[in-house]
Amino acid sequence: MKAIRGVLLTCDSAVKQILLTMNEKQSFIIEDLDDHHLVIKADEEWRVKRELEAELEKNTYSLE
Amino acid sequence: MAPKRGHEDGSDVAIPFKKKRTSDNDDYVDVDDDEYAESEANSSLVPRGATINFSALTRKLEASRKVQENGNDSMGLPAHRRQQDSLVSHIFQDQDFSWLHLKPDHASRPLWISPEDGHIILEAFSPIAEQAQDFLVAISEPVSRPAFIHEYKLTSYSLYAAVSVGLQTEDIIEVLNRLSKVPVPESITTFIRERTLSYGKVKLVLKHNKYFVESSHPETLQTLLKDKVIREARVHSQVVDTSIKASTFTTSRAPVKGNLVIAGTKEAEKRKEDSGNATGANGAPTADKDLFTSVVGVESDEIDEDDDNVHAFEIDDAKIDDVKKRCNELEYPMLEEYDFRNDTVNPNLDIDLKPSTVIRPYQETSLSKMFGNGRARSGIIVLPCGAGKTLVGITAACTIKKSCLVLCTSSVSVMQWRQQFIQWSNITDRQIAVFTADQKEKFAGDSGIVVSTYSMVANTHNRSHESKKMMDFLTSREWGFILLDEVHVVPAAMFRRVVTTIKAHSKLGLTATLVREDDKIADLNYMIGPKLYEANWMDLAAKGHIANVQCAEVWCPMTPEFYREYLREQSRKRMLLYCMNPKKFQACQFLIKYHEDRGDKIIVFSDNVFALEAYAKKLGKLYIHGGTGQVERMRILQHFQHSPEVNTIFLSKVGDTSIDLPEATCLIQISSHFGSRRQEAQRLGRILRAKRRNDEGFNAFFYSLVSKDTQEMFYSTKRQQFLIDQGYAFKVITHLDGLEEMPDLVYRTRDEQIELISSVLMANESEADLGTDVRAGEGDLAGTITSKDFGMPSRFPAVQRTTGSLSALSGGQHMSYVEQNKSANKKLAREAAPRHKLFAKRDKDKASARKEGRSQA
Repeated sequence: MKAIRGVLLTCDSAVKQILLTMNEKQSFIIEDLDDHHLVIKADEEWRVKRELEAELEKNTYSLE
Repeated sequence: MAPKRGHEDGSDVAIPFKKKRTSDNDDYVDVDDDEYAESEANSSLVPRGATINFSALTRKLEASRKVQENGNDSMGLPAHRRQQDSLVSHIFQDQDFSWLHLKPDHASRPLWISPEDGHIILEAFSPIAEQAQDFLVAISEPVSRPAFIHEYKLTSYSLYAAVSVGLQTEDIIEVLNRLSKVPVPESITTFIRERTLSYGKVKLVLKHNKYFVESSHPETLQTLLKDKVIREARVHSQVVDTSIKASTFTTSRAPVKGNLVIAGTKEAEKRKEDSGNATGANGAPTADKDLFTSVVGVESDEIDEDDDNVHAFEIDDAKIDDVKKRCNELEYPMLEEYDFRNDTVNPNLDIDLKPSTVIRPYQETSLSKMFGNGRARSGIIVLPCGAGKTLVGITAACTIKKSCLVLCTSSVSVMQWRQQFIQWSNITDRQIAVFTADQKEKFAGDSGIVVSTYSMVANTHNRSHESKKMMDFLTSREWGFILLDEVHVVPAAMFRRVVTTIKAHSKLGLTATLVREDDKIADLNYMIGPKLYEANWMDLAAKGHIANVQCAEVWCPMTPEFYREYLREQSRKRMLLYCMNPKKFQACQFLIKYHEDRGDKIIVFSDNVFALEAYAKKLGKLYIHGGTGQVERMRILQHFQHSPEVNTIFLSKVGDTSIDLPEATCLIQISSHFGSRRQEAQRLGRILRAKRRNDEGFNAFFYSLVSKDTQEMFYSTKRQQFLIDQGYAFKVITHLDGLEEMPDLVYRTRDEQIELISSVLMANESEADLGTDVRAGEGDLAGTITSKDFGMPSRFPAVQRTTGSLSALSGGQHMSYVEQNKSANKKLAREAAPRHKLFAKRDKDKASARKEGRSQA
């Protein structure tokens, strides 16, 4: 079996839920370990981080 | 963010100059250093603000400073400073004000003035900040007033208001210069001169039910008449002219000022003040020799001392509003003053405050702004909820003593106003009438008070015969005074109709929150008048007029199950999911328990009726929403007020305004109307008048429960903006200590949580609607707290189409239903306490007196 380079992601449960929904659109999760840990594909790491940030930003109010 | 932020930064510029701040800067560098390194790594998405550059810069400065320290300090200073300037400049771009030279003694002066947009930054910790504040409030509009740094803005309207309360142009500039750390910029002085000099030349006067534009300078009137809008609005009357100078204008003698006493201020309370004072026109500022206060309290009436001939032309009633707006644009804003004491045409109304009525110092100040020169000025007074706006209105009416029309937003507040008038003043039942959809009364005699709603008066549709007759009555007469409650909610178009149909000599607008979700505040400036007074919430709290409130936002994490559903759900059910979050239940339960143990009386607010019932039933508390019957409602409120057993009630939107509960000392919000700043302020107002506010060390509590990582976070922050500008600080609580250990905590197990989620998912989509229980009465305004629409665009279509199987429609897929949590309302004792004989008798007497009064009328 081909080895996939992975990154261990530690997150809170809410972020994990967001990642799971993102995963439904474009799969990047290798292994769902527990409530706070996921293993994801290493080359997707930056994309995921960016999209997550954008998602969380939606709930933030700024003065502009 | 651009302008505001710019100023904060602008004031930062000075910090590196001060040697003693060096250690602070050191910390700064350390903290931001990491962030800097990190942000380089993922420099992609969010552009980081100036902080990063700033930290880099501080490091550079540090380095250069170290080099400098080797050499002679005093020698190096100018060079050092120049270097700093050049380093700093590019960050702030056009917000760079480092070229403004600080005065040598700048440390003891509290102000910064921005040369570009007239923003003023005040150091509220300065020893003379209090005087400076008094002055600034008079000449500018407060933007934001947190604990240490206040922001004000100079606008044309604020300057008009300043002139209209008697400040002189040169004094304003002089005092500003005295207080400012930098010389007052040329641009600001010219701005002030321009605005103040043109003010007060033109007046709008109501005479014999006709509007006239008056001026003592015929040239000004000629100028105005050259304008198309104004020319068209002019009514040509066949008045035979006496004036030689300007043959087209009517001329009359200018009014002369005299002494006036605001009801309830001098006579009642302030006898000890020297009433022989020559300037006793109003509640004079106490003998304070200080320059600033004396300028603020200037009482000379310079506006029309020197001329005794005024010229005027008549204006069409319907176009009065356009003319006012046009005049403002032409920078000849019209002054609306009513010389009520010399008005012999309109009959006086015999009304006075009851001797027992005492008005508070800030109420007096606000009124003295209105009656500053012995005449009634039109304008707006802004006071926090619970600080006695009604009494200010009533006192104004008692001072003018002419027929008065009071307009409010809903029929509920109509009755409240009427009741308050009777409570505070000696007006009789027959002199005050109510005009609503249900009641159409006229007062007996020549003059009196009518209380009505905006929409009753502004209605243009067909009216019933009776209300048409009533309207004819209202429009046919001349009103001395019109009181506008909650001015900020009235739509501009409706306002225009009110202003044009009702002829009133003076107008007073009252409000607690001069914000509109649609930002149309500027309209009020020409339709009513300038803002005469705005109270500082923090000040009132410090003086014990309103309660001290601790505000907190409690973050409740979403449970994974709930969050999963939340992310999947795109519709309005999302809202239901974040309201019903089990962690929120727990937080709510914990806070109720905690505060009940402290002896607080708690109100829990929820806009969402579904959540309200679920919470109240689960936690076994009483609740009131629109569907609660009148008898049950009274019984619940009575128990809350008097029974030591009942310390918590749940209220829906009905509680936002119409229920007054001075017992409450703690307030918890579980669901609210999106980002409405007004609702937030209004709810806070529920506990501001807490009975116990004067107890030693008393604090009221205001909690917002917010589900983390949801839209609610966004709304919550937006809602707080108004209160933050008033100086309130919201603490964020991320974890409630001891929550886990609480016995009988609700929804502790996962199974229970999953059960809850299934019940939420089964709920109808319509359950997610806010405020469904409150129906606006006929004549209530859209956009008031009692209606569903807050003046925000509606987010969802009213009708939704769904697909479903036939068996589902016939009920075949429903689960069987068992009610496990019974409403605690039902457990209350059925019988209401019988009324005491004395009161019963009094009621009966009152009823018969009223009947008699009506038959006489």
